[in-house]
Amino acid sequence: MTAKKCMFSRRRFLQGAAAVGAAAVLPCTLLVPDKAQAAAFSEGDYQTFRNACPRNCYDTCSIKTYVQDGVVKFIEGASESTFTKGGLCVKGYAYTRRPYSPDRIKYPMVQDGRRSGKWRRVSWDEALDMIAKKMLKLKEEDGSLLGLGMTKYSGNFGITNYGVEGMMSSLGYTTRFVGTPCWPAGIDAQNYDMGNMWCNDPEDMVKARYVIVWGANPAWCSVHSMKYIMEAKRRGAKVVVVDPVFTQTAAKGDVYWQPKTASDGALALGMARHILDKGLVDQDFVHTYGLGFDEFADYLRNNVTVEWAAEQSGIPAEQIMEVAEEFATADPATIWIGYGMQRHTNGGASVRSLDALVAMTGNIGKEGGGARYGHLQTWGFNYHALIQKQPEGSKGFMGGAAKGEFDFTEGSGASYTDRTVNINKTAQSILDTTDPAIRMLWVSCKNPFGQDFDRPKLEKAFDKLEMVVTVDQFFNETVANSDIVLPVTTLFEEWTVNASYWHYWLSINEQAIKPMFEAKSNIEIAAALSRKMNELSPGSCTFPQDIDTREWMAKEFNQGIYDMFGIRDWTDLRNGPAKARLKSSAAWSDKKFATPSGRYEFKSEQCANNGHKALPEFKTGRESYDKFRLLTPHTKFGLHSQFVNLDWMHEYNEEPYIYMHPKAAAEKSIRDLDMVRVFNKVGEQKARVKLTDNVAEDCLLMYEAWFGRGNDYNVQNLVDDESADMGAFKAGAPGVAIHDQFANVERA
Amino acid sequence: MKKQYAFLVDTERCIGCFTCAMACRNYYHQVEGVVWRQVHPLSEEIYPHRERAFLSLSCNHCENPACLNVCPVEAYTKREEDGVVVHHQEKCIGCGNCIRSCPYGAPKYNPVEKRAEKCSLCHERLDAGLDPACVQACPTDALQLIDLAEFERTNEVQYPAGYPRMEGLNPSTRFVLPKTPKMVRR
Repeated sequence: MTAKKCMFSRRRFLQGAAAVGAAAVLPCTLLVPDKAQAAAFSEGDYQTFRNACPRNCYDTCSIKTYVQDGVVKFIEGASESTFTKGGLCVKGYAYTRRPYSPDRIKYPMVQDGRRSGKWRRVSWDEALDMIAKKMLKLKEEDGSLLGLGMTKYSGNFGITNYGVEGMMSSLGYTTRFVGTPCWPAGIDAQNYDMGNMWCNDPEDMVKARYVIVWGANPAWCSVHSMKYIMEAKRRGAKVVVVDPVFTQTAAKGDVYWQPKTASDGALALGMARHILDKGLVDQDFVHTYGLGFDEFADYLRNNVTVEWAAEQSGIPAEQIMEVAEEFATADPATIWIGYGMQRHTNGGASVRSLDALVAMTGNIGKEGGGARYGHLQTWGFNYHALIQKQPEGSKGFMGGAAKGEFDFTEGSGASYTDRTVNINKTAQSILDTTDPAIRMLWVSCKNPFGQDFDRPKLEKAFDKLEMVVTVDQFFNETVANSDIVLPVTTLFEEWTVNASYWHYWLSINEQAIKPMFEAKSNIEIAAALSRKMNELSPGSCTFPQDIDTREWMAKEFNQGIYDMFGIRDWTDLRNGPAKARLKSSAAWSDKKFATPSGRYEFKSEQCANNGHKALPEFKTGRESYDKFRLLTPHTKFGLHSQFVNLDWMHEYNEEPYIYMHPKAAAEKSIRDLDMVRVFNKVGEQKARVKLTDNVAEDCLLMYEAWFGRGNDYNVQNLVDDESADMGAFKAGAPGVAIHDQFANVERA
Repeated sequence: MKKQYAFLVDTERCIGCFTCAMACRNYYHQVEGVVWRQVHPLSEEIYPHRERAFLSLSCNHCENPACLNVCPVEAYTKREEDGVVVHHQEKCIGCGNCIRSCPYGAPKYNPVEKRAEKCSLCHERLDAGLDPACVQACPTDALQLIDLAEFERTNEVQYPAGYPRMEGLNPSTRFVLPKTPKMVRR
């Protein structure tokens, strides 16, 4: 907090008093300036705080928060970060509403009958008593706590929120949903090729002479990256966007390619073959720093032609040749490999083909070049909240546990471990797991009913659970399928620290206001549960019972972080975010790769040993099982199931739509804005339709979102839990083929 | 020419992300249903791809503002120093004349206050040397603050397709038109 001259007025005092008091169901007009005309803005009228957007987003924006008398008045992007550059996005600016939303969960509540909506307020003590007694009962009846499951992913990436995992460990060995629905196939692919997932600083894209954005839509999902692409273009770079959908990013490029969905690998290999034929391979790179290039070249000569790639992808051969030649001769050239393009049964194989294209043209390790996917270079925290010891004598699982991509721990070395199940098959895992069965589930930083696959099956699975506890801020569908809900803090109400998996900035997240109502942070909940457990059964939980959240945030830092970011200690971050001091903006600039051979592995034995091809060969996609391909990517108005429900967002995004091509619609007598029903083997979903040739004729597009306010729209009614090809190597479980889904449509 | 602050809406750079619209709401907390800055998709007759090019619009701070001319109680003023059209809500009687008269739909009716309101161009921020909230927020510099007296560009237009041509009002907003990429579809 930067204490500033604070001009105190009676009106402001009343606002503050009303907002933090028990009677805080305040009409939002109290927060509105009562005159449209005002005196000149003065920062001294506010206390300012540093915050960071903790969502699962490339941009992980650094935020500056303006508070008056304990109330967040407005926020802006931190001007110190050249990435955020003073601005947030449509989602970020809605944060100002979040703590004060009338829809927020205010107290611990118990639902008498799942999906009944019969919620009653209980005290924290009552709620924790019910939870703790159930946990102790499980342990007594099963002889272990493996009947307690925990699912968490990206609802809040603030580092102290790994205290949820810590809380589970402090109770004993439990069942964990491991893996990620997001990006694991690509992570594995980059690990096979280079030994790690490591991308260039996105800010160096301005240096690129050729940019291919392949299966990513930064205009919606990384708005702050667009200025670098636009600047590269202004300096003369050509921008090619490859996507089955004509996205907003595509509209800003020079050339748009609309290939058949999941044909990316064929397209990349066709380009590679042409580059080989034209003699445009960077011989120095592939032979000095690469392994197995000659075998890859043989594979291309024997199995791939440009004509074949054209047939597979639908992109004309002359186009493939033109862009391939331009890409190979531009210096530097880069590909942004999107997460969308690896959410396929052949996604990992496709990423390997794209990596190979960047590598064979000598663009790996080059500023302005690179196969950009993501990185975890700046995540070297202590994971103090995460690492907790099981109580003495805990019984667990024999046979080892899988580790997630954000798990940087060494492992305990104990003979017992947690039991791990696939996060992308939540429903099936709950239904199938026995000895002991998963009987109780703790959900935090996650909305399985919004994000997990095969929603009808998930409802069946949840019905099997004896108790579901969900920690959240809004009454979403997961909460509706829970017995107990616990209110959790927003970013303004807790201390934590945030890093990005894309850019190289680090931001502190200060507590800017006191928690509203009875909200607690995840680690405060863990401490409170520990008190209750030990009260009922001494020694049953090792989590510290009295914690200072600011102190716990500080405990995540270490000298390595300080050195990397050039700060004396974490308090320096109160002056603004810091950027990692990079010896080069390029990943792999010394061309020493982390693979077994230390080279870029066009041929990876590790990949072959894990059941895939050693070379980045073409892999056929999933067979269609219905009339249309169904794509369910991100909307610009939300991040997964967050933000779309806010009344502020509703002003700009009132209802969900299904997007389809006018020709396909005409065949089914569907007119613009008709109500339609999309259906397949999983389930069905109704919404109004918008006709547009932004989508191909054989494709239906629905943006994932949770609208709330009684709207039942949920794309997971149509998406099954088919696995992607890769992901198990580095993320603990295979990814999921979110975009290999098929459905039909008719007027409703 | 006298100083006249204005918005430059560069639709070639605009990604239709609605950041400007929400930045305005974040700063002013308008009541439900009241929108000072809206992002309007261009119809397919103007830009051939649905919802892929936009006009981000609020008050145009006209040279001869209709709102000011029809207001019976002088609730509107145009600032001498920079041409910003300011609505003084405490003087407003909620008659609705301005709302009916503005061809750009800038003034809105606030059902709680029972008075009009509109974009102020964040004059209280301008007076402190800051950009308007929407301009500060734009991630691609598609929305900029310009002074028409000093503005030097050649590719801008005053009346893009889809935007009412009101020469008598002389709206100050300027636009750069969107482009389309080369389309390679199967």
